Amino acid sequence: MTERFTVSFLPSNRRVLAERGDNLLRLAMGADVHINASCGGSGTCGKCRVVIEEGAVEERPHKHLGAAERQQGYVLACHSTVVSDVTVRVPLESQIGDRRVLDREAAAPAVGTTLAAHDWEARLPHWNLDPPAQKVFISPEPPSLADAAPDADRLRRELARVTGESSVELSFRALKELPSVARAQDWQVTCGVLAPSDRLEIVTVEPGDTSQQQYALAVDLGTTTVSVALLDLRTGETVSQSSDYNSQVSYGEDVISRIIFASKAEGLAKLQKAAVATIDGLIQDLLSKTGVSASMISHVSLAGNTTMTHLFLGIEPRYIRLDPYTPASTHFPWVEARELGLGLPEGVKLHCAPGVASYVGGDITAGVLASGLFNAEHLTLFIDVGTNAEMVIGNADWMLACACSAGPAFEGGGVQYGMRATSGAIEQVRINPDTLEPMILTIGNRRPLGICGSGLIDLLSELFLNGAVDKRGKFNQGLPTARVRQGERGGEYVLVWAEHTAIKRDIVFTEVDIDNLLRAKGAIYAAAELLVQSVDLNLADVEEILIAGSFGRYLRADKAVALGLLPDVPYERIKFVGNSSLLGAKLMALSRDMLQRADEIVGKLTYVELSVHPSYMDHYVSALFLPHTNLDAFPTVRERLQALGPRTPRPAGSQ
Amino acid sequence: MPVTVEVPTEKWAGKVIEVKLGATKEEGGSRAGTVTVGGETTLPFLTFEGGIPNQPVVAAEVWDVEPADWSPVLLEAWGNAVKDPVVWAQQAAALGAKLIALKLRSTDPDGQNASPAEAAATVKRVLAAVDLPLLVYGPGQAEKDNDVLVAVAEASAGERLALGLCEQSNYRTIVAACLGNGHVAIGRAPIDVNMQKQLNILMSDMGLPLDRILMDPTTGGLGYGIEYTYSVMERLRFGALQGDRMTQLPLINTVGEEAWRQKEAKAAEGVPEAWGDLAKRGLSWEMLTATSMLEAGSDIVVLRHPNSIGIINGVIAKLMGR
Repeated sequence: MTERFTVSFLPSNRRVLAERGDNLLRLAMGADVHINASCGGSGTCGKCRVVIEEGAVEERPHKHLGAAERQQGYVLACHSTVVSDVTVRVPLESQIGDRRVLDREAAAPAVGTTLAAHDWEARLPHWNLDPPAQKVFISPEPPSLADAAPDADRLRRELARVTGESSVELSFRALKELPSVARAQDWQVTCGVLAPSDRLEIVTVEPGDTSQQQYALAVDLGTTTVSVALLDLRTGETVSQSSDYNSQVSYGEDVISRIIFASKAEGLAKLQKAAVATIDGLIQDLLSKTGVSASMISHVSLAGNTTMTHLFLGIEPRYIRLDPYTPASTHFPWVEARELGLGLPEGVKLHCAPGVASYVGGDITAGVLASGLFNAEHLTLFIDVGTNAEMVIGNADWMLACACSAGPAFEGGGVQYGMRATSGAIEQVRINPDTLEPMILTIGNRRPLGICGSGLIDLLSELFLNGAVDKRGKFNQGLPTARVRQGERGGEYVLVWAEHTAIKRDIVFTEVDIDNLLRAKGAIYAAAELLVQSVDLNLADVEEILIAGSFGRYLRADKAVALGLLPDVPYERIKFVGNSSLLGAKLMALSRDMLQRADEIVGKLTYVELSVHPSYMDHYVSALFLPHTNLDAFPTVRERLQALGPRTPRPAGSQ
Repeated sequence: MPVTVEVPTEKWAGKVIEVKLGATKEEGGSRAGTVTVGGETTLPFLTFEGGIPNQPVVAAEVWDVEPADWSPVLLEAWGNAVKDPVVWAQQAAALGAKLIALKLRSTDPDGQNASPAEAAATVKRVLAAVDLPLLVYGPGQAEKDNDVLVAVAEASAGERLALGLCEQSNYRTIVAACLGNGHVAIGRAPIDVNMQKQLNILMSDMGLPLDRILMDPTTGGLGYGIEYTYSVMERLRFGALQGDRMTQLPLINTVGEEAWRQKEAKAAEGVPEAWGDLAKRGLSWEMLTATSMLEAGSDIVVLRHPNSIGIINGVIAKLMGR
């Protein structure tokens, strides 16, 4: 049983529960206790000094504190872990004891919920670990004069007996190999079978029992980011997963520019190869990391938007872009992974999640599946925040979907120091209201490399709520800090000084970055508002909002609401589901039931075309403001702004 | 038997904010009287439904240099007045203008590039010569606008001038100058309800009270987008009457500038004979643009032709039922 300790922070008197080994700086961040921290928790800046008043912590070595300071109980929060109940005083130099800080800390932090594994089970109907493709070991009776039935019949008969399937087919390739394979180890045969529905096909045959270790791959093929997971088919667990930018990005940032590129000579082939190269790179990386051999992979389940799926399969995408926007298909046959160029053995089949329309693809089907929206009793809004943001409103009875182009800002694209949520990315940011000094944490407590989605949302909302950025996303100049300054791209905020970064350059956040974030959040909010209004409801009527996307782990509801990315509803209604497209791809890799559900979802989803909606632009421009032009729709943000009061106005004539 | 028929009327919850322009001696300025605009509780001219305490007014556009690019029709009509802003403003006042819209074009960095101090002195001269409230416009180049309007605001502190133009990309300095010196600010958005509201929010966030802001929705000339302006003004006014505070500001339209920019108002040669006499045509273009804007809810129309002033004053009086 894990030991639990209470950590109390003074002077705010905020207490949190902690486990042995929890990092003190992360605990403070989670409790909304501000401690200046400039280096992401890597121990290079030495700013997060705190005093241990009671109890003890375990501190890793560093050279920022002298003997006299240690004598007084000083430790570095980022290098200290909890080993007992402890009372920590945040000294003035690390936090500035202002009333505003205390007020803010007195209120409970509004976190929003990130769904954990057990939450998923409650959301999904019961499903069995029953992969649509797997390896089955059988040992049919060897032929004899008494039973001289053909090899294929023996195999089919035995497989039908073992699996309980009535209809068993044999592929041409398997048939050709069968006579020698069957006799290689005295009729000990492993069949690679594909059984997405009630028809079972033997795709491959191998001598002996190779069924003891088998794995599948789940792929989320995003416009900007690609993620691959390696799944153990015996347990259903994810063994490892990895992600990378889609290398198609060099041919265009969004689906439209990719489609245009695809129509050029060799364009489609180049894009197809680029997607395959990215996925294959991730697969090989996972295999070498885990020691799993490619021969143990039975199948691949991929979820991507309609355009990405077309490009990956090498299917002509151009009509997706042209009125009346028709894809070649929204359903795709199982294909040989090897034929597409993936470095996997013959017989490994690949499945692409079915989609609904040109702009609501398999990634959304996967998301609706993984989020349990198709099974929900209450009115649920699901938003997948990606380069193309898609959203679905509804419940188990009905579902309505739409899509909008948000751009890659929340994945770190179009932001000068933006990056994916990987090691070294700044994922959490708090800003001291008085000094505007930041408190930052990076993934892996590394020296900062850049800022990922959750960090960007934190950063912009903190700058806005502390009056450093105005409602149109411009910096107030003349603030009492050197961090807000004029840069090459207009006003900017220095989040990390060069000396504390891993890149030896100041990590800045510019007005151009803010514009891109505003456009992204504006597009998403406007689409959500219109979608909900199209069924005569308001965002306030939605009982649960599920947010998917690759932001990073620490996205907080109050920060997303402060920007106007999400509506100002009670925070407990907002839940983060992470990469739901990947999660859905995993479910489809693991269960035939889930594959079946995906088809049902597609049949139930109605698509609304927003690009032709007469008031979309109006809603969009209205949302291009912090938090929104209609401040009445954001009462909690209004309250926080009123509590802040105006920042010192600048002297006339100095604009 | 007499039958009483009750005419159905619309009652609105909201009211346009009243903005007072100019300040008398007692109020810290030097004007003989002030002009208040706004205050409507009904759509334009529907006096049977609600109140229109302040009727729309005409502002005459006066430049501090002879406007070289104006239509000869306009220059001829004003005669020598265009050579001196003082004389020009006095004549406009005599013709019945209720406000003088003084454009400090001499400060244009691409033209004479007069200094902010010179511009401020010109404003003082015009203030001394006429006793109407003034609207003062910079040259229309952000940086110079800021320098010039700050100098004007300081030199004429307390006069409650209306200073423009504030735009989303450049409003802070002008708003700060208005705040510190008791003036009114004019905010212009590009024919967009949301952007107009956003600008109002940004300006008032700096601490400028809403009763010191005028909205310029950007005017499309007749035949050149006037319907967009009309529709945006209509929506802003609906918003105001429905109680949306950030749309409840009086509207100002730069009618003359837009109307006289159009081909129909200035082309004499190579046009169909049916277009008729150029002098009449230009004047008509301005009058029709002005009346359309008044019907859309304009509180101040800025005009260029001397004859327009009296004609539009008459139109307003008739529409008000006076």
